[in-house]
Amino acid sequence: MKKTMFALAVASALTAHAAMAEDMVFTSWGGTTQDAQAANWAQPFTEKTGTGVMQDGPTDYGKIKAMVEAGAVTWDVVDAEFDWALQAGKQGLLEPLDFTVIDKAKLDPRFVSDYAVGSFYYSFVLGWNPANFSDAQPATLADLFDTTKFPGKRTFYKWSAPGVIEAALLADGVAPDALYPLDLDRAFAKLDTIKSDIIWWEGGAQSQQLLASGEAPIGFFWNGRLAALQADGMPVGISWDQNITAADALVVPKGTAHKDAAMKFIAEATSAEGQAAFAAATGYAPVNLGSADLMDPAVRATLPDAQTAVQVNADMAYWAEHRDEIGNRWYAWQAQ
Amino acid sequence: MLSATSGGRGSGLGFAMPAILLLLAFFVIPVAFLLMRSVTEPAPGLQNYATLLGSTTYAKIFFNTFFVAGVVTAITVLIAFPVAWALAIMPARWSAVIFAVILLSMWTNLLARTYAWMVLLQQTGLINRMLKAIGLIDQPLQLTNNLIGVTIGMVYIMLPFMILPLLGVIRKIDPAILQAAALCGATRAQALRRVLLPLAGPGLASGGLMVFVMSLGYFVTPSLLGGTANMMLAELIAQQVQSLVNWGMGGAAAFVLLVVTLGLYAVQLRFFDQAEAR
Repeated sequence: MKKTMFALAVASALTAHAAMAEDMVFTSWGGTTQDAQAANWAQPFTEKTGTGVMQDGPTDYGKIKAMVEAGAVTWDVVDAEFDWALQAGKQGLLEPLDFTVIDKAKLDPRFVSDYAVGSFYYSFVLGWNPANFSDAQPATLADLFDTTKFPGKRTFYKWSAPGVIEAALLADGVAPDALYPLDLDRAFAKLDTIKSDIIWWEGGAQSQQLLASGEAPIGFFWNGRLAALQADGMPVGISWDQNITAADALVVPKGTAHKDAAMKFIAEATSAEGQAAFAAATGYAPVNLGSADLMDPAVRATLPDAQTAVQVNADMAYWAEHRDEIGNRWYAWQAQ
Repeated sequence: MLSATSGGRGSGLGFAMPAILLLLAFFVIPVAFLLMRSVTEPAPGLQNYATLLGSTTYAKIFFNTFFVAGVVTAITVLIAFPVAWALAIMPARWSAVIFAVILLSMWTNLLARTYAWMVLLQQTGLINRMLKAIGLIDQPLQLTNNLIGVTIGMVYIMLPFMILPLLGVIRKIDPAILQAAALCGATRAQALRRVLLPLAGPGLASGGLMVFVMSLGYFVTPSLLGGTANMMLAELIAQQVQSLVNWGMGGAAAFVLLVVTLGLYAVQLRFFDQAEAR
């Protein structure tokens, strides 16, 4: 409650400021990801248009809804999860995107909709700390659920989102093309078999800490976070087998005062150059099909878009439709 | 607010006006809106409350909330009482130093302190490695992601809130009373149970209720040091509002927590007034 009030107070203070300076506000999840977005999207955008971009965050769906309903929208472009973006578009919380400004011909069609385009896309991958497994190394999602062969705590994303439920079903033998509609009973039954061994991670930094310390020697991670650990010189095992793709989306909350700037910002962010530079900095894949040619082949090989042969796409439309139902069941199951 | 009302009801009000306006604008009105949403979203009616009070999952979360708050309060009292007693009877110079240390810990960022506990308590953390090195354990103890982690982290944070009111009461106790008890043939246990504890009662009650009430609404520490099996009400509210964008349900849970907290606070005020009257 306090948080909301504070947000509203800050929101009105920011509106006043933003209106004076004609800056726009970009909101994302913080950390290295937002740093890369600021450097590779916001900076070139400001250089080209003269419009300043203030960074805010972290993304908070409750705040977006409160802003739109109160008619005091201070976030002009927001990086959000794609399934939420599809749902929010239907609920009237977002501005339709202007595709005369944003060139969607070059964008990966998996990540284009009326109210949202991909920000970047990532994969959930099996990762492990080789120091904890002396003999055989894990290789498949089934290994992730096999506490006899690979004992120890395993770590999974805590919030209800595409990824973990799919992994449970795939590990249980469901064929990738038969995943949807999700068999929740079967997924939770599979998750039940390892429930006491699960440590949940709430954010990327925590997932890295759990793996690096050996607190959870195996888990299901955002690929970019494992790439960052490797870049720091830590030996990390990664299996791309059945990597599950999900995406972040760029959206414009309904009622923003800087709609034109917001559309231009998204055009810049999803350009071949912007996407290529961001991907090189983060280990996440570009949503612009023209970016690949601009990138160092060695870097490209480490990205999810080089792994399409063993890739399973999470169905964002299905999730958008069933987000509440799955979420309620997910949290109830966690609390049991 | 307390001191304003106890110092003379008419005169204090003017000075309290800025605080009252601030609370009204940024607390009372938004809370009223939230309460309204809990009975209007997604449809008008009481179904959010029916769901909240009717499901076994939510019942478990309510139970967790009260259970954790109760355990934390009990352990905090057990630790805080001897500390407050020692502070009251030691030389003033020493007690000032220890008092400063206790206050200092309160001023350190909550998140930083909770992360520090995570690093200390995890399986590969300092405590487990030390216990292993001196041969007390073979397998690391599970100290985080469960009730143990939440309890350790929260007791540590709550201790000052228990020590301060206790110290105030214990300092007022005349040491001669305990000597008198001893002269009359009371054993140390009897003196503690029949003389010291009743005299320290108001401090125990107000500190205990404050810790209990604060624990009920805690979010950061249970979320980071506890597992989802010990989920508390504040975390449920965060899920509903931030992840599911279900303001109706989040509002209902927040309102129930508010009512319980206000109820307990009313009890605390009664104890306070009684203590003042003595």
